[in-house]
Amino acid sequence: MKAAGSKMKKNLFPLLLLAGLALLPLVLESNYFLHLMILFLLWVVIGSSWNLLAGFTGQVSFGHAAFFGVGAYTAGLLFHHLQISPWWGMALGGVFAFLVGLPFGAICFPLRGAYFALASLALGEGIRHIATIAESFTGGMVGIMIMPTFVSKVPYYYITLFLASLSVLSIQLIMRSKPGYYFISIREDQDAAASLGVNTTLYKNVSLAISAFWTGMAGALYMNYMGFIDPHVVFSLHDYSVMAILVAIVGGVGTVYGPTVGAFIMVAFQELFRTGFFGLFAFLGKATGVAAVTALGDAVKKAHVLGFGILVIVVILYLPNGVVGDWEKIKRNVFRIHPAK
Amino acid sequence: MNLRSGVMSAFAAVLFALGIASGALAAEKVKVGVLLPLTGSQAKFGEIEKRSYEMAAEEINAKGGINGSMIELIFEDDTGKPDVGRSAVEKLISRDKVPVITGGYSSSVTAAAAPVAQQLKVPFVICTGSADDVTEKGYDFVFRINPPASEYPKAVESFLKEVAKDVKTVVLLYENSAFGQSSSKSFEKDAEAAGLKIVLKEGYQAGAIDFKPILTKVKAANPDMIYMVSYVMDASLLMRQSKELGINPKLYVGGGAGFTLPEFAKSAGDAADYVYSATLWVDTLPFPGAKQYAENFQKKYGSDTEYHGAEAYAAMYVVADALKRATSASAPTPQAVRDALAKTDMMTAFGPVKFVSYGKKSQQNKLDTYMVQWQKGELEAVWPAKVATKKYVYPTPAWNARK
Amino acid sequence: MDVFLQTLVAGFLKGGLYALIGIGMTLIMGVMGIINLAHGQLMMLAMYVTFVLNTMGVDPYVSLFVAMPLLFLLGVTIQKFLLNPLIRVETILPENQVLMTVGIGMVLTEIVRFAFKSDYKYVTTEYSNRTFSLGNISFSVPLTIAFGIALLFTLAMFWFLLKTDLGRSIRATAQDKDAATLMGVNTGRITVITFGIGSALVAAAGCLLAPVYYIFPDIGGPFTSKAFIITILGGLGSTVGAIFGGVTLGLAESMGATYFGMEYEDIVGLTIFILVLLFLPGGFKRLTKV
Repeated sequence: MKAAGSKMKKNLFPLLLLAGLALLPLVLESNYFLHLMILFLLWVVIGSSWNLLAGFTGQVSFGHAAFFGVGAYTAGLLFHHLQISPWWGMALGGVFAFLVGLPFGAICFPLRGAYFALASLALGEGIRHIATIAESFTGGMVGIMIMPTFVSKVPYYYITLFLASLSVLSIQLIMRSKPGYYFISIREDQDAAASLGVNTTLYKNVSLAISAFWTGMAGALYMNYMGFIDPHVVFSLHDYSVMAILVAIVGGVGTVYGPTVGAFIMVAFQELFRTGFFGLFAFLGKATGVAAVTALGDAVKKAHVLGFGILVIVVILYLPNGVVGDWEKIKRNVFRIHPAK
Repeated sequence: MNLRSGVMSAFAAVLFALGIASGALAAEKVKVGVLLPLTGSQAKFGEIEKRSYEMAAEEINAKGGINGSMIELIFEDDTGKPDVGRSAVEKLISRDKVPVITGGYSSSVTAAAAPVAQQLKVPFVICTGSADDVTEKGYDFVFRINPPASEYPKAVESFLKEVAKDVKTVVLLYENSAFGQSSSKSFEKDAEAAGLKIVLKEGYQAGAIDFKPILTKVKAANPDMIYMVSYVMDASLLMRQSKELGINPKLYVGGGAGFTLPEFAKSAGDAADYVYSATLWVDTLPFPGAKQYAENFQKKYGSDTEYHGAEAYAAMYVVADALKRATSASAPTPQAVRDALAKTDMMTAFGPVKFVSYGKKSQQNKLDTYMVQWQKGELEAVWPAKVATKKYVYPTPAWNARK
Repeated sequence: MDVFLQTLVAGFLKGGLYALIGIGMTLIMGVMGIINLAHGQLMMLAMYVTFVLNTMGVDPYVSLFVAMPLLFLLGVTIQKFLLNPLIRVETILPENQVLMTVGIGMVLTEIVRFAFKSDYKYVTTEYSNRTFSLGNISFSVPLTIAFGIALLFTLAMFWFLLKTDLGRSIRATAQDKDAATLMGVNTGRITVITFGIGSALVAAAGCLLAPVYYIFPDIGGPFTSKAFIITILGGLGSTVGAIFGGVTLGLAESMGATYFGMEYEDIVGLTIFILVLLFLPGGFKRLTKV
């Protein structure tokens, strides 16, 4: 009885969260916060996709920017060359990312561990260089600029929310089905899985295909929403390939909701630091007249990447399975030390 | 009090403070949002521009501000990334409720920010971002003070036509960046139209260690002119290694970007001598306040400014001028500021500013560009002749003929 | 012909520097089996050390003797306090150490940015631009010196690994960690020392590069990529392989730049890298057996 209750609770929570997110634009009028929420949801998609391939299937990719960028460029180029609405590009963005995933897998999957990681990194970087050089086709570093369709953030918010819930749901369903078990068996011991009759190459490719598809969709949505892309933005090793990893690591690798939590932490963290806690330091500095507070605020603003880097180190050291993966540990260690009076 | 309620009350306190923060600072002030890269790899220029904005705002406020109310600058750090730039513009418009935004350093951030300003109907006065298409979309809330990338080489072209008439062959080297790719393309087009032959055209990734292979090819091609669009340190390496290889064209020309910075001359040493560069501004130009601006900047901050700073400085005056005309009894609305900006016709330290439509462009300021040359470690304006501080040295002496 | 020879020389000289960057990485990869994605950032730190010393009038080649020990200590600290603790922790992904190096790289870059801003710094010496010529081919003096020093370090490393007890322990750990432990090697200590040596070697590369290049906080990333390309080309843990790998990459980049176009420089490197991964796993080490 208790087990069933907790299971229901487990299923209920995501639904409540979803309902809350769906109602959010009704209460939240600020475009600015909606924008941050859209970024958060976009990262949910990217982080969850990476997590499917790396966290569940054990293939740690350092090249996910390739799929993100291909998705974004599919939408952008369709508009650029053929004047086709980039919303069509969104449907195709995932497909093209999937197609790029095929040779990607063919090259990387024979390799294991660090070699896989390096090969994926090299491919991601290679695509970026090609997109930069193929000026006549991609527009090169001048990039592609479009006018976003909607003035209001609300449609984008719902589209992103839809994409995020769909990708997380699909990953959850897969992980509860047979392929999901195969994925995990590949992660745990590839040779053992193969000797038990799992077609490891096939299932690694399946995992990659789904992962690439969702990442590509996210990329195409980025094009639609941001209205501007260039190769260094969407194929960025640091801003996408590595960030996707960090989002999942912070939230919890190999858990369905880990990347969601990680995405929230990452976006909130960056924006809090970038704005100096929304101007709190600047205000306190002015109110109290203590120059040091203002200076501290400026330092915080400058340190937004540093802060995130330190967060990553701390998480890997103390919560190696991320916030979600080590939730029990957090509950045990953090909340017992401070019991309610 | 248990932990949870403790956290909650702390949270509430923060929210409260934030409420005051945005409320208290608003009184009796005209807010101007400024979008600049203050951290990240472009922060150097962000800093120069920020200081120039602050300097201009202080001057304007000292003379009575905007019809009595003071200008308050709200700087937002775009970190050089388009998505962050977009967040920043969203914040300026929806949280800070600024009636006008200015700044915009990198091409990509500017391109991502402009549509937001357009859609939310808040005027955006671009001071540096040079991607051509930003002012080719018919955005009526987007204005640009600086010339687009494709117009940077204008002065070079007239120099070729009138002075360096014996230049027949050109090598074109450019970094693979938005500015490099677009300005080299337009230079190529213009050069070919003028009857010059492009014998070699090569892009490169910014940050290369060794330009020897490419320069060896350049040497073999033996061109009359080498046109380079490079950022400061690549520029310095290109010149140092050209000297090492002893390449002797009739002239070396930089296409803006890095060749005008003091760092270029310092790090390239004597390899920088006689190098020409396209530029948008030098402090010796006969514009009111140009010299003064440069001197005041040096006095106030102890470091030199350059054309990016002048762009920012002028942008502040343009914005203030529009705000003055848009502010009557009530606080300025974005629409009123836009309408005022569209009627701008004034002189600044950066040159005349008037937003006009020509070609595909709209609400674009049309400016002359200039040519400078490094002579004995000093940057001298040499072209057009009417603004020259020194006469150009042409053709460039061969490396081994220099003392 | 001149074009070809000049390209060859340029590639060779650059390759010498690359080799030095690669040796540090290959040792770390060989012994610990992880990629160190903060390798270029360590080099960046050494370059800033060189820069700071240079403002005090210290020659870049002298600052080798400061930067190398400093970076050795930093490497030791990183391995001991940030990487080794991860070995004992049970995690879903074995790559946590690699991801840790990503975090370390970010933090190093940002700390430097904090201290020095994003400005470009440069170390100009009177020999920065000096060249000598053989026939029509010009040699850059600082790069030639760098090549010589790189060669010297490689030979020293080679001797160290083959002839000293510590070197043998490092090689034993690289070949089979468990067996080495059984033979009484303190592998924990060996990893710490190896990371220190690797950091010191890349620091040397930083000092040698400083007079011919420039310095800014983000300089590390591209060099990290080059380092792992060299390592894969040469084979994990092989010092001779790193020399081969470095020179191969240097030559490939230069030849690519001359005969394909400079914008293809990086693509040439990446392509060779993937080809070696696929068709010559184990790198040159498989061919040379050292």
